[in-house]
Amino acid sequence: MSGIRRLAAPAVGALLAAGAIAGCGSTPAPSAAPRAAPPPPPLATSVASTAGPSWTVVEMGGSAAQENNFWQLFVRPAGATAWRLATPLGVADNGGLVIASAGSGSLVTGFRPSQLLTYSPLAASTDDGTSWSPAGPLSASLADAPDALAAGPDGALIALTDGGARAELGQRLGAAWTRLSSASALAATSAGRACGVTGLTAAAFSGGTTMLGAACGRPGVAGIFVRSGGTWRAAGPALPAALGREDVDVLALTTAGTGLEALLQAEAGAHSSLIAAWSSGASWTLSAPLPTGGRPLRSTAAGPGAAVGVILGDGRGETLSGPGAAWHALPALPKWTATLALGPAARVDALAADGGTFKDWQLGAAGWSLAQTVHVNIPYGSSS
Amino acid sequence: MPGMNSGLNDDNATLVAAFRAALLHQGIYVLLIFAILAVAWVSAREWLRPARQARPAAPEPAWRELLRIGFGVIWIFDGLLQAQPDMPAGLPSQVIEPTAASSPTWVQHVVNWAGTTWSYHPIQASAAAVWIQIGIGVWLIAAPRGIWSRLGGLASVAWGLVVWVFGEAFGGIFAPGLTWLFGAPGAALFYCAAGALIALPERAWRTPRLGRAVLSAMGLFFAGMAVLQAWPGRGFWQGTVHGKQGTLTGMVGSMATTPQPAVFAHWVAAFASFTAAHGFAVNLFAVIALAAIGAGLLSAGLPEAGLPAPPLWLIRATVIAMIAACLADWVLIEDFGFFGGLGTDPNSMIPLSLVVVAGYLALTPGRAVATAPEAEPAVNPPAVPADVTAAEPATAAAAEPARRRWHDQPARLARAFGGASTRVVIVVWAAAIVVVGAAPMALAQANHNAAPIIAQAIDGNAAPLDFKAAAFTLTDQNGKQVSLASLRGKVVLLTFLDPVCTNDCPQIAQEFRGADQVLGASSRHVELVAIVANPLYHSLAYTRAFDAQERMTSVPNWLYLTGSLAQLQRVWKDYAIAAQILPAGGMIAHSDVAYVIDASGYTRTELNFDPGPGTASSESSFSVELTQAAEQTLRSS
Repeated sequence: MSGIRRLAAPAVGALLAAGAIAGCGSTPAPSAAPRAAPPPPPLATSVASTAGPSWTVVEMGGSAAQENNFWQLFVRPAGATAWRLATPLGVADNGGLVIASAGSGSLVTGFRPSQLLTYSPLAASTDDGTSWSPAGPLSASLADAPDALAAGPDGALIALTDGGARAELGQRLGAAWTRLSSASALAATSAGRACGVTGLTAAAFSGGTTMLGAACGRPGVAGIFVRSGGTWRAAGPALPAALGREDVDVLALTTAGTGLEALLQAEAGAHSSLIAAWSSGASWTLSAPLPTGGRPLRSTAAGPGAAVGVILGDGRGETLSGPGAAWHALPALPKWTATLALGPAARVDALAADGGTFKDWQLGAAGWSLAQTVHVNIPYGSSS
Repeated sequence: MPGMNSGLNDDNATLVAAFRAALLHQGIYVLLIFAILAVAWVSAREWLRPARQARPAAPEPAWRELLRIGFGVIWIFDGLLQAQPDMPAGLPSQVIEPTAASSPTWVQHVVNWAGTTWSYHPIQASAAAVWIQIGIGVWLIAAPRGIWSRLGGLASVAWGLVVWVFGEAFGGIFAPGLTWLFGAPGAALFYCAAGALIALPERAWRTPRLGRAVLSAMGLFFAGMAVLQAWPGRGFWQGTVHGKQGTLTGMVGSMATTPQPAVFAHWVAAFASFTAAHGFAVNLFAVIALAAIGAGLLSAGLPEAGLPAPPLWLIRATVIAMIAACLADWVLIEDFGFFGGLGTDPNSMIPLSLVVVAGYLALTPGRAVATAPEAEPAVNPPAVPADVTAAEPATAAAAEPARRRWHDQPARLARAFGGASTRVVIVVWAAAIVVVGAAPMALAQANHNAAPIIAQAIDGNAAPLDFKAAAFTLTDQNGKQVSLASLRGKVVLLTFLDPVCTNDCPQIAQEFRGADQVLGASSRHVELVAIVANPLYHSLAYTRAFDAQERMTSVPNWLYLTGSLAQLQRVWKDYAIAAQILPAGGMIAHSDVAYVIDASGYTRTELNFDPGPGTASSESSFSVELTQAAEQTLRSS
């Protein structure tokens, strides 16, 4: 019996060791998981049209981890030179603001939920943000993307929700909502299969039609879709062969006059680039690719005449004056620049936010000059 | 009020006062029990003239006496540490959960469960820890022999395991950075080991094999710790890494910041500086010391493998070296372990040393017997049948025939009790101390809701009121007009909520929902009413969105009322509710308050209702506070 014991102990030990070694060695083979879409650009953005006001959203205040960050909305009315604070009151906006311009001084603002709030309140203004009325609400969480909300004619809205998994169509400024589509439903369409939709990233109204931008899992395809006749069809530009092996995401989708303006990010491995695309309805014009240095974009801006501005991950500012133009590198941006603002007559502003101070730096022949400083009363501690 | 930070501090005056009161009450019970036992014992001895128990033939060996008294003293010391005022609120959040923070998720789940359990009933749990540990300590010290003594050892094992698993997160053995220097594998594991040795039957007492086994096991432990300490890549070999503190430097440096007498802080800070400058040398010394001690202790087990026994002086020298190393570590690295207001024990070095020294003493049981003092009477339960203690020395009580009739038992028990020694009486008292601590905790745990003391600690006590509640007519979430008068006949729990609030209001809604569940069948006599407290977002669409978010649509007696701004402002004024629009980006700042209105429309109670940190225990506590206020009003209606 003792002999059996002597044999049993090493045997059990060997079995345990073998099990441990087997456990350590049995690493599962990597599976072909769908590509994870890159993070959307931050909500810091600006929107301007030729005849309407300019709007910008920047993050101000303090630490987001301590709920001391407060997003603020500023407006520069048409013809004015100065910005003023226009943030709708009554809702904590630590989660971020998403704006959708409906033209002519009208704006719908969506509050991204934070802490225990799980749905998105909305507010609408028709007078350049002087007064606001509650709209919506949106019963789900607005997606964390600058173009997650789109405003169309007659108070129609499109909202991307639940991290880009779903798109909702709102009537009467969000008084009623219906499901427009979802990433999985779109992926099941023939156009969606060609793209390999992995998530919804942007929404827009163009010429009264609803449009969605997506991240594509299939390389070389730009996921821009238009709803027509009850079905979704691909509306995106055909990309050059040079981008044929790159995964493409739609970062921004903006109505530009009667056309559409899209900002695409193409990436293959560590390499990534930005491409602006403009549609006049029948055809697309693409910009040259702008290498991003592999770091996430900091901000996007849309301006009059389908102008585009971006702040890259390394802090460089670049603009495009419109279809067919080349990327133009800006001088080193002022400290704390959060976003660019593109105005009429090729005006470029760098909008900086530091704590409770908002600064407008205007680009002139001699470089950046401080055009305006706005001190904002930040409600520190009110959300914690 | 939303927008105001409201947590529960460790030194919250309400909790501290309640803890002291609980300790005082339980202390009185403990003294009363002692007095009753003493009177009963003296009476039994005087009136029943019982036969005295015979003295045993052999004394307790020295190693066992060391463990028993040493760990008895440590348990009592730990119990006194548990009586520190910060324990009720501080232990779960400042000790238990941080201890597990770097352990695997399953360990965190286990430990957080315990932390949550504690935080639901902080007073009962804290007091239980005090009395259980003091009781076990007294028990161990008072019972040198017999079944009660062994049971004391088992009690030490059982409670030691509870402390090791839940209080020490398994001694951190599953966490990275495990090191003997900081107490691995947890002090409580040595309490368990000592308890197990104390619980051994007497036949295992008097053979040197026990000492060899203990020393060999400890030798293996030290050798393993040496390997771990020497393992590269764990940050112990560098005093500083790229300008940042190395693992040991960081650990020691953090200990120096613990509130403590300045001289100790100075020693520890100085050692941290020395480690930062000479990290490699310090670790090399630690590795060599651990390896040498391990080898020395392991050598005690050589005879078990048929090899010649090492000279006793070698073992003795190893034990002395180990004690020196442990003392140095205890002072310079572990920083005594019990400072800071939330220290629960003197950490691992003293218990570890006691176990090793006991192992050494057990190597020479003959000398222990020879030098033992006068033999002590056996501490056996007064009515234990003879066959249970067959291996123990026979006593007069144990020799009683088992065929006695049942109605003889009380008299027999009384005689046996009267014949018991002083130690037996103290052991019975010690067991009663454990029960005094454990029983209220066990009763509290039977209730799945948190104690209302947490809510009172956050917001103070409810204020009794007696005036007619102001009338209102508003619109509920279904679009129906609801007046306060229409709710006559029911107790109304009334509060004010902002539908787009991001923190307090969702918590308060859940506390109302929780109150409804605690009320159970009584909830049909209670109406839960909230009125919108946002001058901008007060449409039906928003009250409905809030209800959907908080799953209040499934609460049948829930009403979320709104109206025009003028209507709302009138109600806010009547109920003294502030609803202030904060600067851009901020939510509405409004009063967090709950009123209890009785069935005849009179306001009976006002509760401050800032929901505090929003933990599961605080939410549950507020629900219970609401429930109690509603039930009290129901009873008096």
